[in-house]
Amino acid sequence: MSSLRSKGSFFKLYSWLPLIILVVSVLNEFDFNYLNLDYFSFNFPFILIFFFTLKEFKNFDYFLVFVAGLFNDTVVGLPLGISSLSYMLICIATAYIRNITIRPSPIKDWFYFLLVISLINSLNYSLLTLFFSFNLNLMNYLVNTFFTFSFYIIFVSIFKYYLKGLND
Amino acid sequence: MASSRDDFIIAIRSAFLKKSTQQKFSLLTLVFVSMFIILLSSLDFKVIRYLKIGINELVYRSSFVVSIPENFVKTTFKEISEYTTFFNNYKNDQKELSELKSNYVSNEIIQYENDELKELINDYISSSDKILAKIIVDHDSPFLKSIIINKGSKDNIKIGTNIYDQSYLVGRVIEVNFKTSRVLLLSDLNSNVPVTIAPQNIQAIITGDGKNYGQIKYIKGGLSDEFTEKSIVYTSGTGAIFKSGTPIGKLKVLKNEKNTKYNVEFYSDYSQLKYVFAEIITKSEIQDLKQENTNENKTPITAKIQILEDEKEIIEETNLKFKDENENLKNEINNLNNKILNFKNEILTQKKTINQFNIDKDELEFLRLNLIYSNKCQRKLFSTGYKVGTPEYKECVLNKGKKIYE
Repeated sequence: MSSLRSKGSFFKLYSWLPLIILVVSVLNEFDFNYLNLDYFSFNFPFILIFFFTLKEFKNFDYFLVFVAGLFNDTVVGLPLGISSLSYMLICIATAYIRNITIRPSPIKDWFYFLLVISLINSLNYSLLTLFFSFNLNLMNYLVNTFFTFSFYIIFVSIFKYYLKGLND
Repeated sequence: MASSRDDFIIAIRSAFLKKSTQQKFSLLTLVFVSMFIILLSSLDFKVIRYLKIGINELVYRSSFVVSIPENFVKTTFKEISEYTTFFNNYKNDQKELSELKSNYVSNEIIQYENDELKELINDYISSSDKILAKIIVDHDSPFLKSIIINKGSKDNIKIGTNIYDQSYLVGRVIEVNFKTSRVLLLSDLNSNVPVTIAPQNIQAIITGDGKNYGQIKYIKGGLSDEFTEKSIVYTSGTGAIFKSGTPIGKLKVLKNEKNTKYNVEFYSDYSQLKYVFAEIITKSEIQDLKQENTNENKTPITAKIQILEDEKEIIEETNLKFKDENENLKNEINNLNNKILNFKNEILTQKKTINQFNIDKDELEFLRLNLIYSNKCQRKLFSTGYKVGTPEYKECVLNKGKKIYE
């Protein structure tokens, strides 16, 4: 990894990778929807934002996360600002848990993640149905929350490898 | 208790307001900005609309570029799965093609006829051009079923423009940018389409189920019993949102133990769409067209209308002539009938006269012969004969005295 650090631009790109992946995932809606499995979907940006803001990753700028939210709204077709608000609420939740936690535990984080995404998805659903008169399937939201929660632990292990590689 | 509450407040305050060295904005600021944007996007300001169009253009293009690798994986995955069922599909397609070919010619005639009739019914002539549009973003989101196409206001796309896959309806435009547009697919929960279900001729509204089917809604109770698996669903044109007579899909009856559900299986597979047709409709009033006809520069449509109008005038004139002729012929027929009746009466009187004459002639002949042969035929004291006035006597006189009955 020292050789990686010596290659300046490549290291810079590597250190910005989470943010690049975030932007790509919101533009691309990276969620394997083309598998055509009934109800299957998960919210990858939620996992990414939760993990990296929890770890207070230096290149994970809140403003850029906010912009990524605007991109997501445009791609999905939601009213502008909904995803940005969701992402910001995740950031607040992670900042709060970071402040109150003395000894971090992955399992606690995992269940805290479930609570946070449940609250955010509920808020999203309420905002869209009450204020914007969208017809939405609640089951989709529930299954999305479940899969996002389930995949969290898998992606976290991958992200940890990434952080380990970066620190080395 | 008080200290734990203080800790909570400190943690919350820190989460909202504390800004680390790398962060340019505090979270509270960004939350407020998000709320402000949500509020602005819900209000339809011109500036916001243009800003949104700008962002949309940029993001859609970026999304298209970014989606290339995923689309490649997706296409490869589909091609592999298609290859495995290739032969069976080919056989089915061939069978279907031969059936379709036979139906094609008659359909085309009906379509032309239909177009002409529609033009006659409406007080405007609608000419439509279908332009090919490429789908640049199709993420098949579980929440909103929509696609982005590479045609926008520059290409005369408007909100509500109907979008087709071949001749099947797939959705309508709900958002227009300069070079891109968002199409709400019929499978979306927010999509409502007034339809006619044939051959039962039942009016209904179908909404998307958020997956790949449509659901029949808002139908009068009891009418659904008439549905069969062979029922076809096409647009009714009610509300003038969708053009009438466009095929959508066929009915699928799903029977459960508790209830029966009626779904619409769309003819198009929305997950497989690559190119679609956007129908640009231009409406022009007939009166305006008449005025335009005086101009030297005639478009093919106006020329066609002119021909049709001339044809109509000729037909009307011919009709009037036929009417007059018909009247004359009727009068003539009446006169002739009267004449025939007179002739018949004349013939009848003549027949009577002839009959009378014949009778008189016979009588005269009898009287003449009677003078000569009455002695021979009359019964006397010493000779055989017949009593005067009997038919045998008359027969005898007419036979010149020959007694037949002896």
